[in-house]
Amino acid sequence: MKNKSNKQKTAETRKANLLSVLEKHGINIYDDLDKGKFPQFVIPSRSVNNIVYDKKIRQYILGNASAIRSSRNMSQLRSYTQLTWLAFFVNRLVREGKSSTLRDIYYSSQAFSIDFEDQPESDNIIVDLEAVTSSPREEFHIFPEERSSVFGDLTIEYTVPGYEGKRVNLSDHPDGYLIGPSLSSAELVDTSAELVIAIEKGGLFTRFVEENVHKKFKSIIVDTAGQAPRSTRSLLKRLNQELGLPVVILADGDVYGEHIAMVIKSGSANAAHLRELTVPDAKWLGVWATDIEKYKLPTIPMTESDIKRIYDLQKDPRYQEGNWKKQLEVFLKLKRKAELEAFSKYGLTNITDKYLPAKLEESKSL
Amino acid sequence: MSKESFSQISPSEFFYRNRDLAGFSNPTRSLYTSVREFVENALDACDQKKILPDIHMSIKAVDSEQSDPKHYVLTVKDNGPGIDPKHVPHAFGTVLYGSKFGLKQARGMFGLGATMAILYGQITTNKPVTVKSCSDDKTADEFVMLLDIQKNKPVILKHNTKEASKTGLSVSIVLEGDYSKAGSKIRDYVSQTSLITPYASITFEDPSGEKFHYPRIVKEMPSPPTIIKPHPHGVDVETIRRMIVDTHYQIPAVDNKMIEKVRKELGQKKNLTNKDILERAQKKWSDLSRPVRTIIAVMSFLNVDFDGLKKIRIDDLDVANKRLTYWDFGEAQSHAIDLDPESPYYKQLANTVQGDTLLTFLTKRFQRVGPTTAEKFCEFAKLKPERRIGSMTNEELVRLADALQKFDDFLAPDPSCLAPLGEEPLSKGIMKFFNPEFASVIQRSASAYSGFPFVVEMGVAYGGDIPSTGLKVYRFANRIPLLYDEGSDVVLKIVNEMDWSRYKVKGDPPLVIVSHICSTRIPYKTVGKENVADRPELERELKNALQFLARKLAVHMSRQGAADMAKKRANLYAKYVPLISQFVTELSGKKKEPNYKQLIKMGSEIEEQIQ
Repeated sequence: MKNKSNKQKTAETRKANLLSVLEKHGINIYDDLDKGKFPQFVIPSRSVNNIVYDKKIRQYILGNASAIRSSRNMSQLRSYTQLTWLAFFVNRLVREGKSSTLRDIYYSSQAFSIDFEDQPESDNIIVDLEAVTSSPREEFHIFPEERSSVFGDLTIEYTVPGYEGKRVNLSDHPDGYLIGPSLSSAELVDTSAELVIAIEKGGLFTRFVEENVHKKFKSIIVDTAGQAPRSTRSLLKRLNQELGLPVVILADGDVYGEHIAMVIKSGSANAAHLRELTVPDAKWLGVWATDIEKYKLPTIPMTESDIKRIYDLQKDPRYQEGNWKKQLEVFLKLKRKAELEAFSKYGLTNITDKYLPAKLEESKSL
Repeated sequence: MSKESFSQISPSEFFYRNRDLAGFSNPTRSLYTSVREFVENALDACDQKKILPDIHMSIKAVDSEQSDPKHYVLTVKDNGPGIDPKHVPHAFGTVLYGSKFGLKQARGMFGLGATMAILYGQITTNKPVTVKSCSDDKTADEFVMLLDIQKNKPVILKHNTKEASKTGLSVSIVLEGDYSKAGSKIRDYVSQTSLITPYASITFEDPSGEKFHYPRIVKEMPSPPTIIKPHPHGVDVETIRRMIVDTHYQIPAVDNKMIEKVRKELGQKKNLTNKDILERAQKKWSDLSRPVRTIIAVMSFLNVDFDGLKKIRIDDLDVANKRLTYWDFGEAQSHAIDLDPESPYYKQLANTVQGDTLLTFLTKRFQRVGPTTAEKFCEFAKLKPERRIGSMTNEELVRLADALQKFDDFLAPDPSCLAPLGEEPLSKGIMKFFNPEFASVIQRSASAYSGFPFVVEMGVAYGGDIPSTGLKVYRFANRIPLLYDEGSDVVLKIVNEMDWSRYKVKGDPPLVIVSHICSTRIPYKTVGKENVADRPELERELKNALQFLARKLAVHMSRQGAADMAKKRANLYAKYVPLISQFVTELSGKKKEPNYKQLIKMGSEIEEQIQ
């Protein structure tokens, strides 16, 4: 049993850190105004030129270039004010333990005479604040609409208002628990699991619960619902870091599945300004291109966009070596793909009984 | 020498049959053209005598109940010099009678239009024209008359004389017109005329009784143009032929007066025989005047005395072919006799009729041609400078005309025959007319195309009362508004070719361009005289003028832009700084808002950075 209760409460710490960063910015701006100086934000540049791959930490990061958003520049005054407003609003959200969505932010702004022209504009300002504070928006209590789920023997302790101190075990409900604001801000208390299995599809997630994969393999099962949302990646990261659990990934046997695994492992270029979202040690179990032949899976032909995507990824520095490179080449050769459900050809439990143990064994040597 | 061929077909008859050519194609166009012709005549008359024009124009329906097209009474009254009563019947009752044959800028050409309008009125309504004229401040003559189309002669129906106190002319005709269709063009014409004639006061009363009054904006009149000799590039073979005919040394008309003169110079004796005359003439030859010598030379060949001379009319003296043609009134037939080239009188006649040498002709009859240029030209044209122009053959005349066009060393045409409006009156007119926030004008220096001098004047006006409906071009030529056929005009072509965005003009700007071309001959594309053709020289001048004005406009636009920017900036800081202040007060956990007022002030004062 891993028990974390004696350790520092990480969710609390992160919250406190964020509030202090926001307050520091607030004081600086306040002082500038008072002294008759034009306040400004320094925002790490997110332009393509400034996104570089860091081999050491194995993820995309921002280079040294940064942009200044100054209230002195008339054309930036509006977006400067928007950014200040967001810092102010996030401060309220976090202090009051309220959560909101991207769309909420767009509408909330209107109560403060901050007129965003459309939601993309407010979404952009949110990314700006992420870059300024080096915190993902989930820390701001701003969540996307899409949700994924988690199931397994993991006890958490809520920090959201009204539930403070309340504990829940995530194996209590067979459909799993939504990875939402309250779960994201909860403390991870303890677990008996030794492994985290991230799986691309909701259908398979249910199968795994039914087949007691969490018991058979002492695992926490996470449904990524396609490309993993950031709150899900954030949870995987915490499970890996705070509880020391290895993470393995099962996705469809195509180029997109391979990339879902890669993003969990080393992030995306879009989130290069954030470092709390990657699990560098995560392992991609399958379905590999080579598995398609090995397990004689039924296949469907790739589309043109599938093939184009392979060529695109071949230019990515992370696909330049090892198994990642090899699998892309085999996919390109096969020009066919196989879904996780393809194992059902050999019986519904084939994937949990045969494939999963075999791949877990194989992964030890990776 | 009279041009009999001119009157053999009556000009009235000709215009009657070809009235479409002169802009009288339908009731709408005819009403508009008539208005133009009378107003322009009135303005021209005032211009010539330096009288500040006061024009009153009215159009009244004869029967307002009728539907268009119907009969209208068009009356145009001016305060010009008037016309001497004895010329009135001819001036208004004869086609091709006018005083505008000289080479200088005028609105109308030859004064054809007014008579055309009268003619049109007469053929559509069978009503006479009424002309009231006072040319001496004392009496006014009123004529009511019709045109005899076949004979090209006025028929006076009524004539009376009254007392008067002011000079001026009033012309009133009844014509078939369509005001419901022509009205907007006529109103445009009157208002635009007032723009390009800011020194005139113009009043127009329309058929509904509504009055449009355009008061005088400036009191100074532009200096009137002077009549000048033609430029060599501007003449053709026919013009040269006329110039040669028009020489001082043509054969004098043989009338009683002339015979008296000959008698007087020979001594007061009557009934001399031909022989006596020649003898006396020989003795006194060196004292005789040139016309008398010419008459005596002719008498020597015809072998007649004074009585005989009275019975004939000399028709032609063909020196090159040594033939003299004359008409014998008694026999009512034409005769031709051969001239003896050996006779001393032949030389006299030849010199007279052959006229000046080419060199003299060039220097005397053309503007800005000196002896040096003339000699160079003769060499260029491969014609001898001492050649007598009267003896030149048709082929030589064609060669001469051709060479005059092609010779490049003539000086540019003399622009003193032009009367541009001038920058100040134009500017005042534009300011008054459009009430813009910005206006600029330019008068280019004179230039020429094909020997015709021209001057381009142009103005731009921006903003103010001008609606933001896009660029509008007002075209004028010799102070006449051009309202039809805008699309194919050279001015519009130049304006459309401009890249306005380079001059900070975007979208549908509240922009007006006023273009005025002055020339002794505007290169109109069509006989309707509504659109100007694109000559390279004209295009270049228009382009230069427009670019100059566009640059001025651009300076204004950036100044305006800077002012707008400063205002926008002040607004932005006034809006956003208090918001920032409000947010960070809570964010930083303070109670009191920071002192942000100074920042609003500073924000609005920042110099615009160059992006």
